[in-house]
Amino acid sequence: MIQMEHVSFSYSDQGPTVQDVSFHVEKGDFVAILGANGAGKTTTVRLIDGLIRPTQGRVLIHGADTATSPVSERARRVGFLFQNPDRQICKNTVREEILFGLKTVRGDESEEALNARCREVLEDFGFSGDEEPFSLSRGQRQRVALASILAVEPEVLILDEPTTGLDYLECCHIMDRIRRMNREQQVTVVMVCHDMEVVLDYAQRALVMAGGKLLADGPVREIFRDAALMEKASILPPQMIGLSLRLGEGFEQADTPDTMADAVLARRGEGGKRHEN
Amino acid sequence: MIVFQDLSFTYKGEKKPALQEIRLTVPDGGFLGVIGPAGAGKTTLARAVSGMIPHHYTGDYYGSVTVNGLDTVETSLDEISRLVGTVFQDVDSQIISPMVEDEMLYGLENFGVPREEIPGRVEEALEKVGIAELRERTIGSLSGGQRQKVAIASILALKPQILVLDEPTGELDPRSSRQVFSLLKELNEEQGITVILIEQKIMLLCEFARQLAVLNGGRIVFQGDTREVLSHSEELQALGVNCPRVTTLSRVLSDRTGEAQPACINLDEAEAMVRRLIP
Repeated sequence: MIQMEHVSFSYSDQGPTVQDVSFHVEKGDFVAILGANGAGKTTTVRLIDGLIRPTQGRVLIHGADTATSPVSERARRVGFLFQNPDRQICKNTVREEILFGLKTVRGDESEEALNARCREVLEDFGFSGDEEPFSLSRGQRQRVALASILAVEPEVLILDEPTTGLDYLECCHIMDRIRRMNREQQVTVVMVCHDMEVVLDYAQRALVMAGGKLLADGPVREIFRDAALMEKASILPPQMIGLSLRLGEGFEQADTPDTMADAVLARRGEGGKRHEN
Repeated sequence: MIVFQDLSFTYKGEKKPALQEIRLTVPDGGFLGVIGPAGAGKTTLARAVSGMIPHHYTGDYYGSVTVNGLDTVETSLDEISRLVGTVFQDVDSQIISPMVEDEMLYGLENFGVPREEIPGRVEEALEKVGIAELRERTIGSLSGGQRQKVAIASILALKPQILVLDEPTGELDPRSSRQVFSLLKELNEEQGITVILIEQKIMLLCEFARQLAVLNGGRIVFQGDTREVLSHSEELQALGVNCPRVTTLSRVLSDRTGEAQPACINLDEAEAMVRRLIP
């Protein structure tokens, strides 16, 4: 689905922001890109979206090179949810906002078909369509931005810090909706996220970046359990994984409060038995 | 000391009050964390301390807020801003200069800080926040996280007695966020600066704030010692306020072992709790 082949990129006056990065993302993957501020995460997702082109190497989406494929085709395949919904939303009502994206990307379809698709999405997200985006809360505006991206049915969804500025419930709404798209429609998700608890709850695979380079690529839990890697990439693992690492043997599988409690009770049970013997 | 005496405030043109009957005292040298879902009134609370309400935002105002004994209604915004330094949520609305150094100088010159004192203050504030190397950069070339640090440094240079910060680490990665929290702790403990910190990063907030106030629908629903407030983790989650996972763990273990566990607020406490429970 996404192939990054020895990709490097530098903004004009600085050194390379992304350096010789290679990875593949398969259809239906849910990938998180982790790393400190300035590690090259946002640049990497911009390269996938084709917002910028590599100075070296190639980025292929479905086999098509982003450097040569038409913007309209990429826009149809790849949806990009920005950190700040206000950089995305440009219309006065939610309906107009959703139709704007549909007409831009799927302008070859009939007006009727687009209106029908818009109604479907409005209903799905629980909007009437008449809401004015800028009178909504930040979390709701983020949902408007997500609705207008999902309306065009992209194959790849890119999220750059999707939960910044959202409260806990808003964060769960957005992330649960994205997980549903990923599971039910096999939409490929690539997410940049600083909240490691969110990464642990939602992503399956993690790419770790530092200084523009790819340090590691693997299942989320394995990545978080690699203490040396976390240190090198300046990442603090999620609390329950941090705790399981400190507790050691018998706690390797514990990564949520519930599984941690299971492990504690298992040890107490065993301990009790040993005591009886 | 900051004292809210039954403050209610409704923005002009709005029907619903943004804050209702807020009664809250933050002692000198206190470190108060403020949490709550979107639209709970957190930013309005910050504006009431910084004097933006009622001087900048008008509306129906009942009750009072006093900052170091000065009633914010009767005190000029200029006078309040010499006591209270505010870092807004939207840094881009705070930063007005094109260069980092100019941004630092702007507030200092406005406050009439003696010329010979200025270079030292600029240097000290930039170093404290860990961005000395950004001094000669243009604001436009900085990342969101770096801009956030510039906003914090320019307020610190003014040496306020009270700091009010509205989600100051929104764009920062976990390590930089922790650095900012540690810096606030240092200013609070070593210089006695009173800190009021609005944050969604609940894990960090609970580790650093000594007191918590939980807002919902314009009202304070819980306030007190951080651990005491967190012992209501189930009620908090029902309101849409997340709790640190270590706190949830202490609740789950209390339920499942039948032995009441005090609410944990950090990893060290959680580790000690588990080690107590296993043979």
